[in-house]
Amino acid sequence: MAAPIPFDTERYSQIGGIFAKLGARVKASRTFLLATVVFVVGWELVVYLFEIPSYLLPSPSNIAVEFYQNFTIIWRSTLVTAYETFAGFFFALALGIPFSLGVAFYRPLRNTIYPATVALQLVPKIALAPLMITWFGFGLTSKILIVFLLCFFPILLNGILGFSSLGTELTYFLTSTGARSKTGFLKVRMPAALPQLFVGIKWAAINATVGATTGEWVGGDAGLGYLIKFTSGDLRINFAFAAIVTLSLLGLFLFYLVVLVERQLIPWHVSQRSTSGMV
Amino acid sequence: MCDSITLYGVKKVYDSRNGPVHAIGPADLSIRKGEFVSFLGPSGCGKSTLVLMVAGLLPPTEGEIRIDGVVVNEPRTDVGIVFQTPVLVDWRSVLGNVLLQVELRGLDPAQYRAHAVELLESVGLGEFLKQRPYELSGGMQQRTAFCRALLHDPPIVLMDEPLGALDAMTRTRLRDDLEKLWLGSPKSVLFVTHDISEAVQLSDRVVVITPRPGRVEREITVDLPHPRDFDVRQSPEFLGYVKDISDIFMQYGVI
Repeated sequence: MAAPIPFDTERYSQIGGIFAKLGARVKASRTFLLATVVFVVGWELVVYLFEIPSYLLPSPSNIAVEFYQNFTIIWRSTLVTAYETFAGFFFALALGIPFSLGVAFYRPLRNTIYPATVALQLVPKIALAPLMITWFGFGLTSKILIVFLLCFFPILLNGILGFSSLGTELTYFLTSTGARSKTGFLKVRMPAALPQLFVGIKWAAINATVGATTGEWVGGDAGLGYLIKFTSGDLRINFAFAAIVTLSLLGLFLFYLVVLVERQLIPWHVSQRSTSGMV
Repeated sequence: MCDSITLYGVKKVYDSRNGPVHAIGPADLSIRKGEFVSFLGPSGCGKSTLVLMVAGLLPPTEGEIRIDGVVVNEPRTDVGIVFQTPVLVDWRSVLGNVLLQVELRGLDPAQYRAHAVELLESVGLGEFLKQRPYELSGGMQQRTAFCRALLHDPPIVLMDEPLGALDAMTRTRLRDDLEKLWLGSPKSVLFVTHDISEAVQLSDRVVVITPRPGRVEREITVDLPHPRDFDVRQSPEFLGYVKDISDIFMQYGVI
């Protein structure tokens, strides 16, 4: 047996590392918080000093008041949009990842489905939104499908790229061990593909709220997108802004959810190694 | 001693956009069990191709390779391979990377742990078992790759310019490490390099390959005592080998 590792020193360095990381994160988020405060205060000041009418650009304080007064309707709309966003996003995950695996590892799929999907990728998905409404009605289904379309392709394409770009030499090594394909997949191919796959998933997370909003604009009677269209049509810009801010927060929530999962799954990847790196 | 690896008229021609490229061969060669053979030649002479063909990772266009009498027509699993880059995975520690060799073979890593630690300690990595590859220097990463190639105790080790990407000082250290590892448990080693003194220091036999299409120009048996430490490397005999081989490449205008 190898000599036991000096337990306490190892432990100490680990705890020290956690504190250092936490410190760095607090520091980074403090900077971010400061920048946000400066931005909001600056916005408020600009609106005040230049006397910009609120139907053009409402001040943050006006938006906050509007948000407070219409909280119930904004909250109800948020639930609708959140449902469409999450349903479409997870639907795209559930189909996109297996599909990308199939295309990466199964030649007949690569030769048939793959060229077709690439061609479909070139169609601006938003152009299909009115069709979705025609086919699936004004309800939630059409919105979920639009979200799905906008999320599916980034996941599919990045998944294919991730699963099929294992380095030549790593592939040689894997082959020389005679590993069964399941073992090789779990221990090498999948972890190697995760960073690229997450590029696609993050991209999809950004697209998801775009899809839901578009769907609601084209044909809907509920949700934040509908609320924005409706209120800005009435020149209630304060209200529209309150809805826009809420929509952005919803998008951020989904995005950071993905980032959180990514941090847990690939802490070893170069993008995750320092807190100062990009998310 | 019996022949372990035999090449009969092995030739490789690659298809490329600009027509077929004759990479190497035809080559005839036999390598004894436990022999350290270097393939020495300028870059692009097809020596890496030769090694990949022996591992069964590339099929020869013509000819046949036999290992212990058996024709190589599929990837061999009884080899250890080291490439020019370490090819470690970042989601595993140094020890975990070495153990990957047996885990992929479906073997129980717990049974190989002690041997893996022993190998890593023998190349000075005993204190770095838990580090991730990206926390190590290039030389340490390559040492990890050596250990991974040896963990399953393969009778044949293939090394494709394993020291090629390292700085001069690290190369010198790793040459000694390699010699030590090989003396500790002699295996048939096919070692690809373009460094003449590296080949002379490590090999029982140096196979000199011509520029592309690579052909076996000459085989030189290096008759010097091991370990070939600093003093041996300064000896007239050692330098004589280096000069003889240099002369061959001078004739070809490679150096």
